[in-house]
Amino acid sequence: MALDTSIKVLVVDDFATMRRIVKGVLKQLGFKDIIEADDGTTALDELKKEKIGLIVSDWNMPKMTGLELLKKVRQDDELKSIPFIMVTAEGQKENVIEAVKAGVSNYIVKPFTPETLSEKLEKVFNG
Amino acid sequence: MAGDNERVEQYLENLALEVVSLEEGDIPSMGKIMNIICSLEEACQDINDSLFESLLKATKQYLEKLILGETSETEPIEKGVAVLQDIYRALARGEEYKGDASEALARLGIDGYAQGDQGSASEDISEQDEAIGSQGPEIEIEAAEENEGDQPGRKDLSEEDKEIMADFVVEALENLSTIEVNLIELEHNPNDIDTINAIFRPFHTIKGVSGFLNLEQINKLSHSAENLLDLARSGELAIDGAVIDIILESVDMLKEMIEEVRKALDAGRRPTPNQDIGPLVTRIQEIISASQEHKNKPLGELLVEKGAVETDDIEVVLEEQKKDPNKKVGEILVEKGIVKSKEVITALREQKRSRKKKVDFQVKVDTKKLDTLVDMTGELVIAQAILRQNESILSIADQRVYYALNQLYQISSTLQKTAMAMRMIPIKSTFQKMLRLVRDLSRSSGKKVALKMSGEDTEIDRNVVEEIYEPMVHMIRNAVDHGIETPNERVAVGKPKEGTVELKAYQKGSNIIIEIKDDGRGLDKDKILEKAISKGIVSESASLSEGEIYNLIFKPGFSTADVVTDISGRGVGMDVVKKAIEKLRGRVEIQSQVGKGSTFVIALPLTLAIVDGIIVRIAGQRYIIPALGILKSFKPRPSDYSTVEGRGEMIMVRGELIPLVRLNWLFQLSNTFTNPWDGLAVVVENEGEKLCLLVDELLGKEEVVIKSLGEGLKDVKGLAGGAILGDGRVGLILDIAGLFQIAKQDTKEGIQGLQRVA
Repeated sequence: MALDTSIKVLVVDDFATMRRIVKGVLKQLGFKDIIEADDGTTALDELKKEKIGLIVSDWNMPKMTGLELLKKVRQDDELKSIPFIMVTAEGQKENVIEAVKAGVSNYIVKPFTPETLSEKLEKVFNG
Repeated sequence: MAGDNERVEQYLENLALEVVSLEEGDIPSMGKIMNIICSLEEACQDINDSLFESLLKATKQYLEKLILGETSETEPIEKGVAVLQDIYRALARGEEYKGDASEALARLGIDGYAQGDQGSASEDISEQDEAIGSQGPEIEIEAAEENEGDQPGRKDLSEEDKEIMADFVVEALENLSTIEVNLIELEHNPNDIDTINAIFRPFHTIKGVSGFLNLEQINKLSHSAENLLDLARSGELAIDGAVIDIILESVDMLKEMIEEVRKALDAGRRPTPNQDIGPLVTRIQEIISASQEHKNKPLGELLVEKGAVETDDIEVVLEEQKKDPNKKVGEILVEKGIVKSKEVITALREQKRSRKKKVDFQVKVDTKKLDTLVDMTGELVIAQAILRQNESILSIADQRVYYALNQLYQISSTLQKTAMAMRMIPIKSTFQKMLRLVRDLSRSSGKKVALKMSGEDTEIDRNVVEEIYEPMVHMIRNAVDHGIETPNERVAVGKPKEGTVELKAYQKGSNIIIEIKDDGRGLDKDKILEKAISKGIVSESASLSEGEIYNLIFKPGFSTADVVTDISGRGVGMDVVKKAIEKLRGRVEIQSQVGKGSTFVIALPLTLAIVDGIIVRIAGQRYIIPALGILKSFKPRPSDYSTVEGRGEMIMVRGELIPLVRLNWLFQLSNTFTNPWDGLAVVVENEGEKLCLLVDELLGKEEVVIKSLGEGLKDVKGLAGGAILGDGRVGLILDIAGLFQIAKQDTKEGIQGLQRVA
C-alpha cells in the first residue's frame, strides 16, 4: 500500500540544515505539505494551530527536547494519536529505549537514507 | 504483599498478552511491553528469586535489542515470558520452580546460567551481555559507522547537496563560535549542565549533518568531541583545563575542515578535508578512558561547592560507596541524612533557571543585499529632497501635494534610519573572541589574567566590527604581554595575583567608544622617551607633553618591550593599530598611570556609511569636509598671513603658525581670489598636526551618504569619496589624513596624483 503523502508533516529540529535534509528526504518520498519548528515549544504551538498527520522530531534540542515533546504529545488527548518519529544519533541506545517507552511510533538513526525513512513510515502507517 | 502479588500477576498476564501479538518492528507495542517490564521490576523487588530476576532482566535486555533492531526474532521473548509466569506461579504457591529455564535463557542470549547460584547471577548476565555481540545477529554500531560511505543513496554532489552543504558551512561555523564562548563560561562554572549541553549540542548536530553529507573526517572528530561531552553531561567526566583545551583544539580543527569545505564548494570541487584528525581523536579517547577510572567524583564536588555538604561528608560517602558500588553518591547522602534531596534539587533548579539564555529570532541576510538597501534608501532620500526643492512643484497650490511630500519625507528618512540600523550589530561577538584570546595568552605567558567586559550590546556598523578586530587583538596582546605583570611581580607590589583586562564599549554622541584597560604596570614615560630618542623618532631636545610621549608608541618601528616575546613585540607595533583605526575614521588615545595600568580609548564613528560633513565651495565647486577633523573656521586677516622659507604659506592662528593649503591649487581649479584674506580658512587636525584649508566659503552642514568613487579613482589621495547632495548634485568628500600626506610630500607629486580627478 502506498503512503498517504497528502498529510501535513511537522519537522522539528533546532538545526536548520538538518530540517532541510529531513524535508528533502520527505519530499523525495512524495510529501508536499511540510512545516518546520526549531524546538519543542514552537512545535507544540504549530500542533495547536495546524492539523498535523506526522511528526518527525530530533531528540537533542534546546528548551524542550524531542522526548519532552513526545511526552507532551502523548499526554494530550487531541494530539496523542499523531504518529511520531524520533530522529536520534547513532550510538544513543538509551535514548531510543526511552523514546520507545514514552510511546514513540518509530525512531530513525542519523544519518539515514530516503529508503530507511520510507521503511519506517511504512511500518508506522501500514503496520 | 498480597497487593503486590496481585499486581505482579496482572502485569505478567498483560505482558503475555502483548508478547503473543508482537511482531518485528512494531515499536509502539515494544514500548508498551517495555513499560510493563519496568513496572514488573518495581513490583517484584521483594520476590528475591534470582532466577526470576535474571530471566526478567534477560527478557528486558532482549527487548532492547529488538527495539534497536539488533535482532528480529520475537519468539524468545514469548518463551521467556511464559517461563516467567511458570516461575511466578510456583513461587506464589510457596514452591520452588522445578522446570528448566535454561532453554529460555539461552534463547534470550544467556548461556550457562546455573540455577541456584544466587550470588553472582546478575554479574553473569552483564558479562554475558557483552560477549553476545560476536555471536548473535546484532549489528555492531562501530561497524555501521565504518560502512557509512557505502550507504545507498549517496551520489555525486548534486545542486541540492551543494546548497545544503553551503548552508551547513554557515550554520556549523556559527555553532562552533558559540561553543568557544560557552567554553569560557564552562571554565568558570565547570558543573553547569546547561552550558555543557550548549556545547554538546553543536557537536552533536555537526556530527549528524556531516554524516548525511558524507564528510567523514568532520563526522569522526565531532563524534569524538560529542562523546567526551556526553560523559561530562552525565557527570562521569570532570571538566578541567585539559578537557577545555582539547575541546578548543577540536573546534579549531573542525573550523579548519569546514573552511576547506567552503573553499571546495566555491571552487566547485568535491570537498575532501584531509586533516590528520587521528592524534586528536586518540587524545580525546585517552581522556575518555581515564575518566572511566574515577566516576562519580564530580557529583560530590558539585555538592561541596554548593555548600550543601562538607568535604569530610563526601569522603565518608565515597568510602561507603566502595562497599556498594551501585549506589549513587547523592543517594547515600540523602540516606545518611546529610542533605535533604529536596535541597539539592531546589539548588540545581535555581542554578538552571538563572542560566536560561534568551534566544533572538533572526533572519540571515546577505550583506551585499543590505548594502544595496542602504544605498538605495540613501538615493530615495535624495530623490525626495530633489522633488521638494523643485520649483515647479513648489509653485503648486494644492495643499495635498505638500502633505504627500511631507509624508514622503517622513517615510524615507525613517526608512533610511532603519536601513542603517540593520547594518549595526552588537560588538558582543568581537568581545567574545577576545575572551578566547586572553585565555590563550594568559596560558602561554604564564600570567593570570581575567577579562571583564561591559557594554557588549553596544551596536556598531558591521563593517567596522570586522575592521576593528585586528587592532583590538593587537592591543589586548600588548595589555597582557607588556601591561600585566607576572604573578610574582604583582604580589610583590601588593596587587592581586590575577591581572584584569577590561573591555568596555559605549556610545557617546555619534561615536562608539571602546576602552581597553589593564591594571598592569602602566606606561613608563622615561623609557618611551629614551627609546624614541635612541630610535631617532624624536630629538633629544624636544619637550613633549605626557600625551605626546604616549603617542610616540604609535610611531612606526616603536616597541617598548625589553624582550621580544612569543606573543607580541615582533616589530610591527601600535602604528598598525593606529592606521587601522584611522582608516575607520576613528581616533585612539592613551591614558596611563605608572604602577596602576593603562587605558586605550578608541573612538569610532557609528557608521561608515554616513559622514557628518561641512559643505564648502572651492572655485565654484562644492566639496565636503568631514566635520570630525575640523577645529574651527575663520576669515584670516592680512596680518595673519606670512610665508616661511622652505615651508611655504602659513597662517597665524592664536599664536601658532599653521601651513596653508590652497585647495583650489591642489585640485587644479581656477582662482576665484588671490589673497588668502579674501577666502575662508578651515583649520583641520590629524595626528596632532594642523593644516589651514583655504576655501571660498562655507555652505552648510549636512549628513551625507558616502559613495565610493569606483575602482579607477580609489587610490586618489585627498578624496574619501563622493556624495549626492540635497539638490541632487554630486560633491566630493575630502580625506583629511590624505590631505596631510599630500601637504607633507613633495607638492608636485601630490598634484600629479590629483590631476586625474580634476
